[in-house]
Amino acid sequence: MTPEAEFYQLSGWTVILLLVLFYGGTLLMSTLIGKKKENADGYMTAGNKVGFGISAASMTATWIWASSMYASATSGYTYGISGPIHYGLWGALMILFIYPFGKRIRKVAPKAHTLAEVMHARHGRSSQLMLAGSNVVGSLISLTSNFIAGGALIALLSPFSFSQGIIVIAAGVLLYTLWSGFRASVMTDFAQVVAMLGAVVVIIPVVFFSAGGPDMFAQGAANLTPQQSNFFSSDAFLNQGAPYIAAVLAYAIGNQTIAQRLFAVREDLIKKTFVTATIGYGATIIGIGMLGVMALYLGISPSGGDTNNLIPQMASTYLGPILLGVFLIMIIGALSSTADSDLAALSSIMMADIYGQNIAKGKANPKTMLMVGRITMIVATAAALYFASGQMNILDLLVFVGALWGALVFPVIASFYWGKVTNKAFTVSVLAALAVFIPVRFEWFPMDGATGIVFDVVSVVGIGVVLGLMSFGFFGLKAARIIGALGALVAAPFVIGFLHDYTVLTGSLVAYAVSTVICFAMSVRSKQDFDFDLIKQRIGDYDTDPETEPELDATAAGTAGSGTGK
Amino acid sequence: MDSTMLLTIYVLMWPVIVGGTLFMICKGFFRDWVEARREGRSII
Repeated sequence: MTPEAEFYQLSGWTVILLLVLFYGGTLLMSTLIGKKKENADGYMTAGNKVGFGISAASMTATWIWASSMYASATSGYTYGISGPIHYGLWGALMILFIYPFGKRIRKVAPKAHTLAEVMHARHGRSSQLMLAGSNVVGSLISLTSNFIAGGALIALLSPFSFSQGIIVIAAGVLLYTLWSGFRASVMTDFAQVVAMLGAVVVIIPVVFFSAGGPDMFAQGAANLTPQQSNFFSSDAFLNQGAPYIAAVLAYAIGNQTIAQRLFAVREDLIKKTFVTATIGYGATIIGIGMLGVMALYLGISPSGGDTNNLIPQMASTYLGPILLGVFLIMIIGALSSTADSDLAALSSIMMADIYGQNIAKGKANPKTMLMVGRITMIVATAAALYFASGQMNILDLLVFVGALWGALVFPVIASFYWGKVTNKAFTVSVLAALAVFIPVRFEWFPMDGATGIVFDVVSVVGIGVVLGLMSFGFFGLKAARIIGALGALVAAPFVIGFLHDYTVLTGSLVAYAVSTVICFAMSVRSKQDFDFDLIKQRIGDYDTDPETEPELDATAAGTAGSGTGK
Repeated sequence: MDSTMLLTIYVLMWPVIVGGTLFMICKGFFRDWVEARREGRSII
């Protein structure tokens, strides 16, 4: 190892060997499951009957990404001992709270490939394209962010440059995902989750004891403010926790990578898979966040003033060369498993939503469909590389998009349960919510006096909506109404008068409230009573060639073939 | 139990939970693999 600046670096050959081992291994895994003639449906959902082990590994690996590790450590360093909880716990609940809705979605659309595809069957093109568009933006931002994280890490811990790093990572991920798509993504996720979680089990205790063990808490207590040393810090809750609670359902609905796994896992294993992934993600991300808490106790300043450097800094300070190599693989595994999922998500949206339903209009050619998927992966990788080369702060954009997704949550969820929701109600409510959200989020007008109070009241409605929707999935409509109303009433005296000072949280809650109120008001009087059985008839397999039929779904091959566009 | 001990447990409990989850996932994967072998098909 050669010291440079504040970081110990691995030698160039060591890094090359680690990257060849990692990407060579994943390529070998994807080659072993590859078929000369891939099935178009398998390319998107792997046959809808994936087992528990692979599904749980895949959901865990997909949701853990390099940026979430960095952000959790930043939260620990900024907000103290409760910081990682306020990042990791709510992020984990995004996985948990979507599964009851996932079971309903699978019931009405067992053969779907994307959530937007179901919206097309339920409503029509405008709802579909709004959801698909938001999914594409989210996945492209995530892909870019992962490339940036990988390039930055390689530049920090090796003699190679940022540009060399992002090119190697982009090429590595594209290479093993391109041929088999989603099947390659979930299969390699298992190896990546073993590498990531295995590394976390070793690295956290090693850093803890190398940094002084329990003594660091006694000696470093003076480095913390009263808020940072308080497990129930209001500062951490309002700045980190609350905006994330509001985003729990928004991220889950707005992210095709979750929907894809909901459609892929065997239907009776949805709950078990998603509960396991919730625990796996939460413990991993909160655990990594403890590195930020340790840095705070130790009085360490982040290199260059950038808190994203905290984790590599702690690793290079307290780990030996072998464990530093393990650490590098942990981060590369985290970003690759999410990047390959983003590629698979983007390709399935282009295959099913754009080509399958809007260009071929139900007469899709499976070969053309596969070509669309593979071209999408190549174009998306090139686009993400272009954006990554600018090294812009892409995470701020993702936080913005995440809050934006709040506008979609009620219209999407209601569309799966309530036959009265119309395409017009869906579209108008989402657009209206966005029209209110953007000026609030970017403070285009002052929130003084009555204006601030008005938005506080709207936010209280948003709190009721968020709590109601989160309860609805688990406990049904009656309980959701009671919990939502009670939550809003209890919150009102505490938040009216000051919540508008927290614009990220206010913007998100306002988006929920406006879209819910308008969607409900426009739907409650509608004469429509949608027959949900129609969705099953409108969405089926695209590729019923017996030569390529997914092996996991062989029993269903005889009944498949309804195609789309009935 | 003093605060130092509580904080130590708080920091070290996460890798233990991660290890338990990893064990569950590996056990599930092994079962998937055995089942696929028995039925003569690919695991995915």
